[in-house]
Amino acid sequence: MNSNPYIKPRFNGTQMVMLDVIIALMPLIFVGWLAYGTIMLQQICVAIVTGLVSEFLFSSILLKKYNTILDGSAVVTALLLTLTLSPVTPWYILSFGVFSAILFGKIVWGGLGKNRFNPALVGREFMAVFFASVMTSPNIWKTSDLVQTSAPELFPGIDYPYLSDYLNSVIFKTTGAMGEYSILCIALGGLYLLVRNRISWHIPLSLLGTFTLLVGLSGGDGLRYSLGGILLGTIFMATDMPSSPTTGNGKLYYGLMIGIVIFIFLKGGIQYEYMSYSILLLNGFSDQASVVFRPRTWGETLDYKRKTEEIFILTLKILGVAFAVLSLYYYELVNYLVYLYILYIIIKFNFSFSNKVSNAI
Amino acid sequence: MLLIPSLKGKTKYSDISTIADSKDFYMPLDAYRNVMTPVVSIGERVKKYQLLAQSEGTFASKLHAPVSGTVTAFFQLNGKQMIHLQNDFLNLETLTFPVEPTGLTKEEFMDVLLDNGIQGAGGSQFPTQLKYNIQDRQIRTVIFNGAECEPYLTSDFVLMREKADELIKAAQVIRTVLNAQKIVFAVERHNIAVRKILLKNASNLGVEIEVKILSDGYPQGGELQLIKSVTGLEIRKGSFPADHGILVNNIGTLWAIYKALFEGRPNIERIITVSGNGCQHLGNYRIKIGTPIIHILRETNNNWNPDLQTIVLGGAMMGKSVESPLVPVHKGSGGLLIMRKTKIEKNNCIKCGLCVDVCPQHLMPLEFVRHNLSSDVPELKKFSLQDCIECGACAYVCPSDVPLMENIFDGKKKLFQ
Ligand code: SF4
Ligand code: SF4
Repeated sequence: MNSNPYIKPRFNGTQMVMLDVIIALMPLIFVGWLAYGTIMLQQICVAIVTGLVSEFLFSSILLKKYNTILDGSAVVTALLLTLTLSPVTPWYILSFGVFSAILFGKIVWGGLGKNRFNPALVGREFMAVFFASVMTSPNIWKTSDLVQTSAPELFPGIDYPYLSDYLNSVIFKTTGAMGEYSILCIALGGLYLLVRNRISWHIPLSLLGTFTLLVGLSGGDGLRYSLGGILLGTIFMATDMPSSPTTGNGKLYYGLMIGIVIFIFLKGGIQYEYMSYSILLLNGFSDQASVVFRPRTWGETLDYKRKTEEIFILTLKILGVAFAVLSLYYYELVNYLVYLYILYIIIKFNFSFSNKVSNAI
Repeated sequence: MLLIPSLKGKTKYSDISTIADSKDFYMPLDAYRNVMTPVVSIGERVKKYQLLAQSEGTFASKLHAPVSGTVTAFFQLNGKQMIHLQNDFLNLETLTFPVEPTGLTKEEFMDVLLDNGIQGAGGSQFPTQLKYNIQDRQIRTVIFNGAECEPYLTSDFVLMREKADELIKAAQVIRTVLNAQKIVFAVERHNIAVRKILLKNASNLGVEIEVKILSDGYPQGGELQLIKSVTGLEIRKGSFPADHGILVNNIGTLWAIYKALFEGRPNIERIITVSGNGCQHLGNYRIKIGTPIIHILRETNNNWNPDLQTIVLGGAMMGKSVESPLVPVHKGSGGLLIMRKTKIEKNNCIKCGLCVDVCPQHLMPLEFVRHNLSSDVPELKKFSLQDCIECGACAYVCPSDVPLMENIFDGKKKLFQ
């Protein structure tokens, strides 16, 4: 080291951050295994192997960096993507998803940390667009005959079936995506990350708070959503470091806006993709949110009027884009967003990102 | 604020010891924002305490001979001007004249500070008399900064423990000179042991002081952070604390002031913590300004081995690594650390925001890297790079070892061009 400081905390490197995320996902993977046994494990293996191979190949070819598979981010992306999918997703589609996540979600941006969007969610949208017929067929969620351990009756003492079902589903259920089987385990993972200071409380708090509030205010009638899915997205996707804001207030705002956008999308009738659309949408504004909500410099006096204006404009932009996405969804044109994205990112990589690979930011 | 595990245990309760004087002294001519000019000539024999060099103007500074001997050369070491003084081990001293503290005016006091070469001991070497150039501003609170938030350093702590009596005498003079309402010794909680000692000595001397215990945190000892912790005032970097009725002096500086006032001795030595994770014979030593670090290393049974160690002058957070064993101790160096070399794993910034969380000035350090790499000076300004106090907290927490400090220093150069 040639510049101060000359000490560093131990066990704090990027690898440790990634390892902690993997540890936090372990309880979820365990209940997944309980529910679907080797099917779940096979899926995870496919995802991790594809992730590592894609990372190594493309990072070597495009970025000329040969040891990035060691940073652990490929494994995290592979796991996160897998957990948002049905256990019966065909392996080649999963593989394609992980490959797109790594290549188009991360490497073409210049590698770890430089991606604007959450790679796992990018991968997911690629799958939805290029394998639309499989991914949106109702069969993909028909998994009941594969269940290894069915949800036990955990609360036989409670006479209200509705309540006991609900409580059951908090601990263990077998429907939905691979990461949604136990709300308890999601929360456990989140708690671990919080304690280890790998995520901050801002985004989960404001996102869940806003969403609950809106649902409460509207009475919640006719809204069909998966609590597990929202929680999984909140704790593991919305808090993804590279694609979320860096400042405390920025994070609060970001969570708040995701909450609002989820609500808008649900009201607008987006069925499965409300969570990933909302997060991806806000990913696009995360840098702006960081800067607009920049902390007040020590001793500085704030210009509240200007600040309010900036926040107002940013909010308008976000809501505008949200309604635009909603319209595209109605006319079934969301695919084109993905095509546009591919075009954009390839051009950007060729003319800009590839020249800045050695920059740390 | 950032919590850094304390690494002070090993030196905290070692008494101040001395080492034999060096044969060669390299007197650094670099002062705060200027370079001093020698007032002696080559071949001249000088006595201990004799004036060697000085500069004039706003940031006027003076440098005195730490031993008696012969001036043998003016030379450059790593681009810095030095006077080479050879010790004759005769210890011939100039006459010293203690100052009569009663009736001392502010102007006279400032002269005492300048004539004795008193400069900020906390690291900056800011000429202390300038802090007292307050014209007709009224100082309410004088804060003596004993926070010592640097993880390895204990030199201020041992001073307060062993020289409390001298520190309080000097503090009392300062208070009378400024006609200040109160004097506050600010120490971090981990140094709470000195509270009793300070209070006891103060009551023995009949001096009224306040000892303020601050929470442990880095950089609690940063002047602006300290002012906030003690008085509740948050002042912007670059504004003059005296405008808010506050004056801050470091404990090491206060001790130098004591010696100037009560012994008439110029500032030629200081207490240095010798420590680090690769160090033998850790402790606090009384060391003369101009002593080359190789001499300290030898006297403490350490050696110069740049392949395995990084040698740091100052603290682990804000100090500077030295490239040559001949580099001398200056008036701002509170520590000499021998650190084992560690491998660092540089990665891209992962936007974790930890640097933003810990920045005491509430800046966004990662943006400095971004905009320095693209040499975007207006953006650097917009993100208030000028407010950075170079404390290193951001680089300490960064999980990706992003070269934050390098980019901050580089960016500041571009900013002030
Ligand atoms: S940006 Fe400057 S003030 Fe802030 S933590 Fe980094 S070095 Fe310290
Ligand atoms: S601490 Fe390092 S990795 Fe995290 S945001 Fe700051 S510069 Fe980036």
